[in-house]
Amino acid sequence: MTPSGRADVAAITDDLRAFLASATGRDELRRIPPGTALFGPAVGLDSLTGTLLLREIQRRFGVDVAGEDLNLDSLATLGTLATFVAQRTRPEGGP
Amino acid sequence: MTREGPVKCVVWDIDNTLLTGVYLESGDEPPGADPVLAAVLAELGERGILHALASKNPPEAAAHTARVTGWRFAAAECGWGHKSDALARIAATLGMAVDALAFVDDDPFERAEVGWALPGVLVLSPEEAAEAAGWPEFSPPVITPEARRRAEMYAERQRRQAAERSFGGTREEFLESAGTQVRIAAATTADVPRLEELAARTRQLNSAGAGMAQDWFRGPLTAPGREVVTVRLRDAFGDDGMVGGCVIDRDQQAAGIWVVPLLMMSCRAMGRGVIDALLAWLIRQAARAGARRLLIPCVTNSRNVPLRLALAAAGFRVPGPAGTGHGDAGPAPAAYQRDLNPPLPGLPGWVRAPGEPGGDAA
Repeated sequence: MTPSGRADVAAITDDLRAFLASATGRDELRRIPPGTALFGPAVGLDSLTGTLLLREIQRRFGVDVAGEDLNLDSLATLGTLATFVAQRTRPEGGP
Repeated sequence: MTREGPVKCVVWDIDNTLLTGVYLESGDEPPGADPVLAAVLAELGERGILHALASKNPPEAAAHTARVTGWRFAAAECGWGHKSDALARIAATLGMAVDALAFVDDDPFERAEVGWALPGVLVLSPEEAAEAAGWPEFSPPVITPEARRRAEMYAERQRRQAAERSFGGTREEFLESAGTQVRIAAATTADVPRLEELAARTRQLNSAGAGMAQDWFRGPLTAPGREVVTVRLRDAFGDDGMVGGCVIDRDQQAAGIWVVPLLMMSCRAMGRGVIDALLAWLIRQAARAGARRLLIPCVTNSRNVPLRLALAAAGFRVPGPAGTGHGDAGPAPAAYQRDLNPPLPGLPGWVRAPGEPGGDAA
C-alpha cells in the first residue's frame, strides 16, 4: 500500500470513530484504538448501530460492506473495517 | 414495481389531500379534513397501519391536520425539500424499510418524484387512497392486539429513544436502567395469529425473507423434534408484547445439529438487546441438549443486513470462500452456523427463558 493509502486508512478510522461516538452518544468511542473489536464489550456493535454504521459508510464512501462481505468479517475490528473501506475507495480522479 | 408485503405506514400530503384546501392560502380559517380520507385514516389505523405526514408547509399545518382529522401521526416532516427525502427520514424514524411505506399526494409531480426516487414505495392519488382499504397491501391477514396498539408503541419508542440519548452510559446499562424484561417461552396456539403476523411483516430481522407464504405454524407447535418459541418484551416505557419468535428443528439431533429454519423479530425490538438474547439462549439451549452445532439458514439481501449483523455478533459464520456478499449470494439461504464449544455466551439478568434460572421448564 502507498503512503497515501495508509493516510486514507487513518482518516477513515477517524471518521468511523466520530460516527460511532455520535450514533451511540458515547464520547469515549472517539479514542478507541484500531485493534478494538467492534462486536466486543467496548463498542458493543449490534443490529441497530451496525446498520447505521454500514449505511453511513455507503453514503460517505460509496462502499456496500454487506453487499461484498457475506460474513461481515470486515467488522472484526475498527482497523479491519477502515482497511476494507480504504481498499474499495478510489481517490477522486483515479482509475 | 419492486415492493412486496403489506404497507406498514401511509405518508400523507396535507394540502388538497387530507385537507379540503391549501393551508397557507386560507387565511384565518384553515381548511377542514377531507371526510372520506379521514375515514380511511381511522379504518387503516384499526388494522395497525401507522400514518405520517409529509408536507411543504410550516409545522403548524401538521398540528392543524392532526386536530381536524383527530389522528395522532407517528411522524411529520414539514419543509420544502424533496418528498422522497422526507419519506426516507420517516422510515428511519419509525425503524422500518422505505418499502413498507405508501405515499398519498394530490400533486402528480410529487407522486412522480417519490415514485422515481423510491421505487419500492406504493404511490397513490387521493382518489386511489379512498379505495385502498380494500386492497391486499392494506389488509394484513390477521389483526392482533399488538397491531392495534402499534401507534401507541411508536410513541413509547420515541420517549425511550430520547431517554437513551440523554443517558450517557453503555447500551447494556441503559437497558438495565430502563427495566427491560425479555421472556422467551414455548408458543401456545393462542400465539399463532401474532406469529403469522410477524412472519408476514418482519423484513430486517427475518431469516426466511419477508412474507414467505409458508405454513410455519399450521402443524403442532411442539412435536418430537420441533418446537416453536415466542419472545416478549417490555420495559418501563411500555409493553411491546410479542416481538419475535423462532422455529427449532431437532430432526438432526442425532448428528449433533440443531437447525433454526425461521428466526424473526419486529424492528421495534432493534437496539434493545432482544435478538442478541434470543441467539445467546438458542446457543445455550442447543449446547445443553448435547448438540455440537447450531445452523440458521438465512436469506441474504440488502434488507436483512440487521439480522446478519446480529448473527455475526453472536459468532455465526457461513463456511466457504470469503469475500462475497449478498450481491453474489442469490436467493438460496446461506448456511450461517456456530460451533457450540465452550465458552458459551452469557444471558443478561433481565432475560427469562426455558432452561435458565427463573425461566419455564426446559
